[in-house]
Amino acid sequence: MQEMLKEYDVIIIGGGITGAGTARDCALRGLKVLLIERRDIADGATGRNHGLLHSGARYAVKDGESARECIVENRILRRIAPHCIEDTQGLFITLPEDEETGYGLDYQKKFIEACRTAGIEAEAMDPREAIRWEPSVNPRLIGAVKVPDGSVDPFKLCAANVLDARLHGADILTYTEVLSLVKEDDTVRGVRVRDSRTGETAEYHARVTVNAAGIWGQAIVQMAGARIAMFPAKGALLVFAHRVNNVVINRCRKSADGDILVPGDTVTVIGTTSTKIPFEACDDLHVTPDEVELLLREGSQLCPALASTRILRAYAGVRPLVASDDDPTGRSISRGIVCLDHATRDGIEGFVTITGGKLMTYRLMAEMATDTVCAKLGVAVPCATATTPLPRTIERDFPAGSPDGMLVCECENVTLGEIRSAVARFDIHSLADLRRRTRIGMGTCQGTYCIRKAAAALAEAQGRPADAERLAREYLDERWKGMMPVGWGDTLREMEFMQKVFKAGAPSTFK
Amino acid sequence: MKFDVIIIGAGSAGMRVASALQKAGRKTAVIGLGRSINEVEVRPYERLGGTLLIGDSVREGLFEGNRLTAVHTVNLGAYPLKADRFVIATGKFLGGGIVADMDRVYEPLFGLDVAYDEDRGGWFDASFGAPQRFLRFGVRTDAQSRPSMGGRTVENLYACGELLEGISAVDGREEIEKSADKVLAILTQADHAEA
Repeated sequence: MQEMLKEYDVIIIGGGITGAGTARDCALRGLKVLLIERRDIADGATGRNHGLLHSGARYAVKDGESARECIVENRILRRIAPHCIEDTQGLFITLPEDEETGYGLDYQKKFIEACRTAGIEAEAMDPREAIRWEPSVNPRLIGAVKVPDGSVDPFKLCAANVLDARLHGADILTYTEVLSLVKEDDTVRGVRVRDSRTGETAEYHARVTVNAAGIWGQAIVQMAGARIAMFPAKGALLVFAHRVNNVVINRCRKSADGDILVPGDTVTVIGTTSTKIPFEACDDLHVTPDEVELLLREGSQLCPALASTRILRAYAGVRPLVASDDDPTGRSISRGIVCLDHATRDGIEGFVTITGGKLMTYRLMAEMATDTVCAKLGVAVPCATATTPLPRTIERDFPAGSPDGMLVCECENVTLGEIRSAVARFDIHSLADLRRRTRIGMGTCQGTYCIRKAAAALAEAQGRPADAERLAREYLDERWKGMMPVGWGDTLREMEFMQKVFKAGAPSTFK
Repeated sequence: MKFDVIIIGAGSAGMRVASALQKAGRKTAVIGLGRSINEVEVRPYERLGGTLLIGDSVREGLFEGNRLTAVHTVNLGAYPLKADRFVIATGKFLGGGIVADMDRVYEPLFGLDVAYDEDRGGWFDASFGAPQRFLRFGVRTDAQSRPSMGGRTVENLYACGELLEGISAVDGREEIEKSADKVLAILTQADHAEA
């Protein structure tokens, strides 16, 4: 067992979007930063959501503050991360049956007013005009409102934050698990960690430790000797095999299951559900048949073509919902940002928790956490993340015909050069890690055609060509898990095809 | 037009049966989309004088009692193709021989009885490389390779290839060829018996 000791200004636990954003903000303010992630960056809730660039309209009626936060961050992200965002715009539609549940055209008026109060451009659109603009929308609609929604690639956004943090001097450790917090009396001094691949342990010290571990943050708070009441809420989503819609389609009513349809790159995603689950289940999420049925039923209301479109896969993430501090029963759950200075809250120095919130408001969360850290460290540098553009994550421009320009993944247009660039810039150990950097294998064939090529390219770039078969197997197991809950119809045909491609005929690893 | 045997499905199993029967002097026709075969593979059958209706598919069967007497295809409209016997080899899910909905698995052409697990829980093994139960689902036949509809055997219809319960291309071509050869043997013997 090797022991190491390094000193930082701040250690951030969690390589999701919140941790990555906080690492970047801290690094931009000149702090010496260490970011620790137990798996790969964007592996938790960050990579398991709609990828929706909220306009905030969804929250406008119920929660004006969240709506305002969203639209402000929406505009900021368009400026600082245009390469992670697609300006699709969004529709909120009203169907005839919504009149019966109190969400008819009267509600639409209220909705538009609430949006405008929150500073969100919302414009009523003639239903016929809406159909011309987005032909996949349910033609039975009786009302439509146009809002500045968009889609965001959360993997790329997270990677861009991590990369920029590193460019500003931060150290990044992925596949490194926090075993315990180092405490001296009532002060957190750092972390003890274990490298999940080598098993080696190490200790890192910092003046402040930030807990940005999402739902897993409850356990980190416990390590510090305090407690926080979090509630894991599973959200299931379905990915369809092609880009059915070009505009985000929402239902103009109280937020419910399966009422947002987001086009993302080459596919379309419907979601989500909300189910309380036990903490033990957070590391191994399964989408149930009931969830699939519900998402299909509700999704077809937004866009009838979904009922006959091949489903690529199902996946689920966990929202880190936090109970209000003054409510031990946990009934009063906040969906807002929770930034806790444990010195004032629990008498524990050198420890900050940033949680709650959502992908859309990650930058604001990071700013709040970094402000708290800076106050503790006596650093007066202002936040610059709202105006400083994020870097591109990997090189993309490789001329066709050059060796690096060779296409590997034809669904998502990923070249050999991009794979090499990703391996050079990020800590990549699996094809899933590579997928999160490049979108490789995320398209309509789910890697059936390209994954052997990709595995060979990755293994070679890592200098371990013998690993190719293992990499491909791991990848297929992971894709298979997402297909099982939707294994009927055309998805089942695709599953048979995958089995045949890898098992039938020529000598195969799977025999 | 009346044939001795009409083979529904132009995959490897169907073509194997059709070529052998044609070679043995029977008048045969093959109807199928032909997605899984190429021109070179079907050429020997055509040289033997077989009738190849590639790109067409059966849309309806005409039954008299427990016998299939003729089929209607998409391209031939109201013109029926008659035969004494029929072979069905339309493949599994990928080929469209059987179809899985959210709540059932069925044979879409004639509604033949299909063997499958009603509980979806066991359809898949979470490990991609492990054997997958759903690839075993398929049309159930009697000892004479004849499928049934609602429990009643169709007397002059024979099934082979991946359409069958228990057979999958993932396990290799031999199983598929064996099932085709079995149908071939039964059809040849049946002819001898009648002759």
